[in-house]
Amino acid sequence: MKDIITQIFEIENKIRPDEFLSFKRNFQRIYHELEQEGYTVINPIGQLYDERDVAIEANLSNEHNKALTITKVLKPIIYRSEAGNRTLIQKAVVIVG
Amino acid sequence: MENINFGIDLGTTNSGIGKFQEGKVTIFKNPVGFKDTLPSVIAYRNNRILVGDKAREMTTVNPDHVFSSFKRKMGSAHLYHIPDISETKTAIDFSALILKELLGFIAEEKPSAAVITIPASFDTIQSNATKLAGHAAGIEEVLLLQEPIAACLAYANAQNIAIDELKNWLVYDFGGGTFDVALVSIDNRELKVIDHEGNNFLGGLDIDHLMLEKLLCPALEKELQEENLWKQMVNGENTTYNKLFFELLYRAEEAKKELSIKEEAFVEIEIDGRYIELLITRKEFNQLIHTKVDETIKLTKHLLEKNNIRNSQVDRIILVGGTTYIPYIRTALSQVFETHVDATIDPTTAIILGASYYAGTKNKQNTVVKDTLPAALKNVKLAYEVNSKDNEELLTGFVDHEFSGYYRIIRTDGGFDSGIIAFHSKFSEFLKLVPKTTNIFNLKILDKYHTVVYENAHIGINHGIYNISGQPLPNDICLEVDDTLGTTYLEQVFRKGDILPLNKKLYKTISKTVLKESGEKLIINIVEGKAETSPASNLCIGYLEIDSADLPSNLLKGTDIEIDFDISESRDLTVNIYIGAITLEINQVFNATAKQVSAVKIKQELEKVLTEIENIDNYDFETGDLPRLELLRIEVIELLKVLIDVEGDLLTDKIYNIDERKRKAFQTYDHLVRRKNVVSEIEAYQAHKDEIRAELLLKPNPKIEHAFNNITRNEIKFLNSNQTSIIKSKTRELQKIANEIYYQNDDSYIELFYYYASMPLSDYTDEGQVKRLINSGKKAIDKNNFAELKAIITSLYHLLKMKPKNFFEDKNGTLGLK
Repeated sequence: MKDIITQIFEIENKIRPDEFLSFKRNFQRIYHELEQEGYTVINPIGQLYDERDVAIEANLSNEHNKALTITKVLKPIIYRSEAGNRTLIQKAVVIVG
Repeated sequence: MENINFGIDLGTTNSGIGKFQEGKVTIFKNPVGFKDTLPSVIAYRNNRILVGDKAREMTTVNPDHVFSSFKRKMGSAHLYHIPDISETKTAIDFSALILKELLGFIAEEKPSAAVITIPASFDTIQSNATKLAGHAAGIEEVLLLQEPIAACLAYANAQNIAIDELKNWLVYDFGGGTFDVALVSIDNRELKVIDHEGNNFLGGLDIDHLMLEKLLCPALEKELQEENLWKQMVNGENTTYNKLFFELLYRAEEAKKELSIKEEAFVEIEIDGRYIELLITRKEFNQLIHTKVDETIKLTKHLLEKNNIRNSQVDRIILVGGTTYIPYIRTALSQVFETHVDATIDPTTAIILGASYYAGTKNKQNTVVKDTLPAALKNVKLAYEVNSKDNEELLTGFVDHEFSGYYRIIRTDGGFDSGIIAFHSKFSEFLKLVPKTTNIFNLKILDKYHTVVYENAHIGINHGIYNISGQPLPNDICLEVDDTLGTTYLEQVFRKGDILPLNKKLYKTISKTVLKESGEKLIINIVEGKAETSPASNLCIGYLEIDSADLPSNLLKGTDIEIDFDISESRDLTVNIYIGAITLEINQVFNATAKQVSAVKIKQELEKVLTEIENIDNYDFETGDLPRLELLRIEVIELLKVLIDVEGDLLTDKIYNIDERKRKAFQTYDHLVRRKNVVSEIEAYQAHKDEIRAELLLKPNPKIEHAFNNITRNEIKFLNSNQTSIIKSKTRELQKIANEIYYQNDDSYIELFYYYASMPLSDYTDEGQVKRLINSGKKAIDKNNFAELKAIITSLYHLLKMKPKNFFEDKNGTLGLK
């Protein structure tokens, strides 16, 4: 399932921003349905890099400036909830810098 | 005597831990990220000690603070200097930290004894240093085992290979950063490493780099019209290409995995909004890695030659390390050494597996409990907000008695780890929260020897579920929806106590076809009250009728409908309805000052409940309730009468008075009748459930069992919903299963046949043919020919003028959405 979610995520990211509005509802719906099935998908784009965030696998390219931001997300974070327990099933793969 | 049971692979690149129990090995997963293995890397950053994945991340940007491959320095006098805290550490110190981290993978008992693996090349000093690291991590009894032996044990035990005579096995270990090959002699009594060879700087990462340099960069150079792209990426001068390097490395690793199962793989790279697609075939990949694999083959050949072993004397080559997933390596080994290449177990965990098997056969020597158990910390006081709307929440801890040590906080879903941080009597940490859910954290306090002295695994912080400022909703806000049985029930949109403002989107389905010219309506009814009661007993706060004439086109049953609810702090309710299939969007604001009442709807509700009351069996009620039931009946009739009187009255507020009386009447109805109905529905549900369970016990059927478990999964929730509709629909699903079980038995078709045979001939279109079919059916029953009988039943069904109704078919809704 996580591979399918990653593919959906990739498709979402391939849509040009000016065309995205017409797809927005569809993606909201897909993520809603996934949530009903117990999958929470999080896109950490724009977040500050935090070494405590172990749900993220970062490729740090420089640390000259203090505030490191996630500039590209190759894979999203996926949690799976079952019987009230949430578990990380996929770490995000991100580029920071 | 107790066995050791725990096995640890303390690797140069990755480590892991397993346990032998009940004849098999369980490999423990890292509670942070849930992987089987832990990178053997330690980093110091912002006063924190990071262990594993996060530590490895720092390698490129902050190499002075990152320590890896320290296993190579085991037993040496080498000292590692940690810049910020001006401390020095040894390889033993770092290994002890890794071991402690591994022990943290085990939730319950902490092992007092373990088997730890060491490379075949380790001398006595290095071996003793490993033992010391084990002791420093709190493992009192450490038994060492050579890695190639562990691998052999893993393969031999996992496959139950019987070894009657002396054999030679080659252990080919190609990991992420190192290559080792060992020649092991094996018989039914003894496993012995005869000799070994290796290269400490040859691994999977070299292959990834090669893919970048020789395959991806040349292809990209053409696309980007650049030269020396590889050099530009690795010299660190160009930040954009630095980032590209990491993206390519990730893509190369993914492609490498894909090529292990497929003949070709696509690599897709995005540069400035442009998507560049590159194709790599397995053939190209094999040619590329050929030289690297050759290096390992040369070392292996050399190992055999110096021990005077011919290829034919090697019984099998067993594979260890993630790089051995590559098919080319397997075929190359098999061709060169003309022997069986065994790849039956996961090469990344083979050493852990073998170490654990070994531990399962070894007795503990010292079973005496340590005298000086670390004193548990008392009086730890924690302060934090249980409910938060921020992305991070502060946790502060106070410890008595001038305590100095470390703390560590992990979120139990594996997505947050504070690392190990030194503190003195007080600490504070901002905890990262996953939005709109409950976040559970585990806090550990460690003494100066890194031994756990306090643990609290139940620190719960709710994000966004409750807001910390604002007014709470006094009642539930619900949407009235159709069920599949022709009645309606309330679906909770917001719960009593939820804090304003609120927003939620529901995805529903159209439950009846509304043709444009039919004059029918689609009804959205939003009420305030209690979700578990009859819709009509609640206060209507938003009522909207969408007339068929206003629809852009016909609305078909099954179409999706999105309803977005928004309640502001001043209690304005905004509903946005969107039906994508007919591109209809309606935005309606309801405010609490004007009550929404529909006379037509009140009439329908009253008529429905009147029929229900009149059909009630008095025996089901206690004598005291009967007069109340009669009074209710009279009130409903009275209300229906006054409703006729107010028809066309647009001036007075009589209709609101009727609505108020109607709600009271329905509250009485809920109290007298509905509660009773819920109980009998639960009983019916339980009866069907028990029946199916008994059937499954007699005749197990995995498919039906799976469906059964799916229906009963959230049982506690729906049985406590107080909604007859929901419980009834679950009962119906169970009935469907019972029906399926029934028709699995051939004999049930005999019963079905006689059902059709007993119907009047006039019900069929062709009486002559029906007679012939009935005769053939009886003969088929005599001969136990069920295939023929089933065909006859189908023919009889098709000859029926009026087909029997499908009991399980969903009924049309009244409101229009479910």
